[in-house]
Amino acid sequence: MASSPVSRATGRVAVPVLGLIWLAVTTVPFLFMVMTSFKTQQESFSSSVWTLPEAFNLVNYIDVLSGSFLTYLKNSVMVVAISVLLVMLIASMAAYAFARIRFRFNEALFGLIVAGMIVPIHITLVPIYLMTRHMGLYDSPFALIGPYVATSLPISVFILTEFMRQIPKELEEAARLDGCGPFTIYFKIFLPLSGPGLSTVAIYNGIMMWNEFIFAYVLTSSTSTRTLPMAVWDFQGQYASNIPAILTVVTLTSLPLIVAYAFGQEKIVNGMMAGSLKG
Amino acid sequence: MTSITLSGVNKSFGANFPVIRGVDLTIDDGEFCVFLGPSGCGKSTLLRMVAGLETAYSGEIRIGDRVVDKVEPADRQVAMVFQNYALYPHMSVYDNMAFGLRQAKTPKDEIERRVKEAARILQIEPLLDRMPKALSGGQRQRVAIGRAIVRQPKVFLFDEPLSNLDAALRVHMRSEIATLHRNFPAASMIYVTHDQTEAMALADKIVLLHAGKDMLKHGSIAQVGKPLDLYHRPRNLFVAGFLGSPTMNFLPATFVGQETGGAHVTLKGGEELVVPVDGSQLAAGAPVTLGVRPEHLAPVPVPAIQTLTRKVSAVEHFGEYSFVYLDGGTPAPLIAKVAGDGGVKAGDSATFVAPADCCHLFDADGIALNHLNSL
Repeated sequence: MASSPVSRATGRVAVPVLGLIWLAVTTVPFLFMVMTSFKTQQESFSSSVWTLPEAFNLVNYIDVLSGSFLTYLKNSVMVVAISVLLVMLIASMAAYAFARIRFRFNEALFGLIVAGMIVPIHITLVPIYLMTRHMGLYDSPFALIGPYVATSLPISVFILTEFMRQIPKELEEAARLDGCGPFTIYFKIFLPLSGPGLSTVAIYNGIMMWNEFIFAYVLTSSTSTRTLPMAVWDFQGQYASNIPAILTVVTLTSLPLIVAYAFGQEKIVNGMMAGSLKG
Repeated sequence: MTSITLSGVNKSFGANFPVIRGVDLTIDDGEFCVFLGPSGCGKSTLLRMVAGLETAYSGEIRIGDRVVDKVEPADRQVAMVFQNYALYPHMSVYDNMAFGLRQAKTPKDEIERRVKEAARILQIEPLLDRMPKALSGGQRQRVAIGRAIVRQPKVFLFDEPLSNLDAALRVHMRSEIATLHRNFPAASMIYVTHDQTEAMALADKIVLLHAGKDMLKHGSIAQVGKPLDLYHRPRNLFVAGFLGSPTMNFLPATFVGQETGGAHVTLKGGEELVVPVDGSQLAAGAPVTLGVRPEHLAPVPVPAIQTLTRKVSAVEHFGEYSFVYLDGGTPAPLIAKVAGDGGVKAGDSATFVAPADCCHLFDADGIALNHLNSL
């Protein structure tokens, strides 16, 4: 339906205005965080929150980096890397089966796995805590891998299945004629062709796991085993909090994500759109 | 031995939808066989059954002396060229062509030799390092053919390989496929198309498959034979109507009796014709259908023996020839293909002769009556 000139003109003005408002909503807290990380604790109390730092003071960064931050970073990198790799492997194999192999209950099983997306993780906390203790993994970074993989699988299987359904059937048939069995077809054809979908899954889940707090809080307790979201706690006292230091931790923690998102946002959006459009 | 034998092959999708019905067929060593038919007739399914990508519900398929019903596609010594090329998008042209050989653990130098030889034959040597997305449609199709050649198969299978190309390129690639057949005379080739021009141009043998409202015939073979045999001696109304463009004219008629020269019939317009076919099995007064191709109707100045006189409803001029549309006696207009402008215009009454040898007669079941003269 053709829109009227008035509504077109309104759209030309409204869209950029709304965009700018949204930009402010998302950028202002970020600017506040970065600015405050360069202030001393005293300065943060004495000056207005929107005042620029008197100097770009690196004391908070030195303070944070000389503490346990690097241990948390190491734990986070290890847990997220292993979990993301496992999610990519398991989800892509499941997606290949759901997308390409005809078997009884294919759709029912797919529906069941995707339905896992609506299970709130909070109701799984107690059983997972008990299981982790029972397995002797409590207070180990490895305790986080299982829950992270399990909670990431439904959306990952969903994204990759939709992605693999779009890979032409003839490629699989050509591979069969070239002498490939199901595993070779998966490894040599589907996996390489699912690169954009796998990137989406990796980036999306990586961000979620990087920021994950509740499992890290419940399943780990020592400084040597905790991940980055728990680093904030080092600067959170019972009676007072070192706000600039906390915001320095948050700035440092979010840096890798910002870099990842800057380079991968197109893939994230494309992956989310997989299957929604024909063509 | 590169012959292919299909015996009593049946295939259904679900319990009530047969797609291939009782196919018995032999394709000889080195023969170029075209599966032809309208969309949905099962020709691609039949090809895919030979490839091993579909399983037959019943029947037997042999390649050479070997029954291949339970043999994996890769072990049937067949190579297939797909309609949409099916090149692996993440591999270079070279890797696409070498992939199957690598899977078969062929020595590296042998792979290189075969890929380069195929590339030379298909004139794609400069493209070997390119990715498929950097190729034109024609180049992609050449690579797809190259991928088939390097495997040195006993049987080449082509599934509508030219249908994604534009008209000019299609004609060019058609001649290249014919050259390929000459270069690999020992290999049998099965080629699926719905384009009768491709079928007529390429085939040693055409297998025309039934499709349409008659579900009892859907997916069965309507006729097998040399292209010109099917064209000049169609075995039934379906074949007669499918081959030829414009299609054959069909006129309802009544069988009068068998004479020395053939079957004597009367058309609804009162014209009497003798068609040199054996109508001795028919009773006088039996309904029949007369078939005559548009290019066989020739204009004559006055009505005489074997002529039809009709009112011209329209004329389409194409320079070298014209289509003259004639009203009367049939649900669809009769069409005559005449040289030049035909010398007639809409509204005229025109007379055309239907030469006896070019006429066909079909009984009430649509089966062609046998011609008295062989081709």
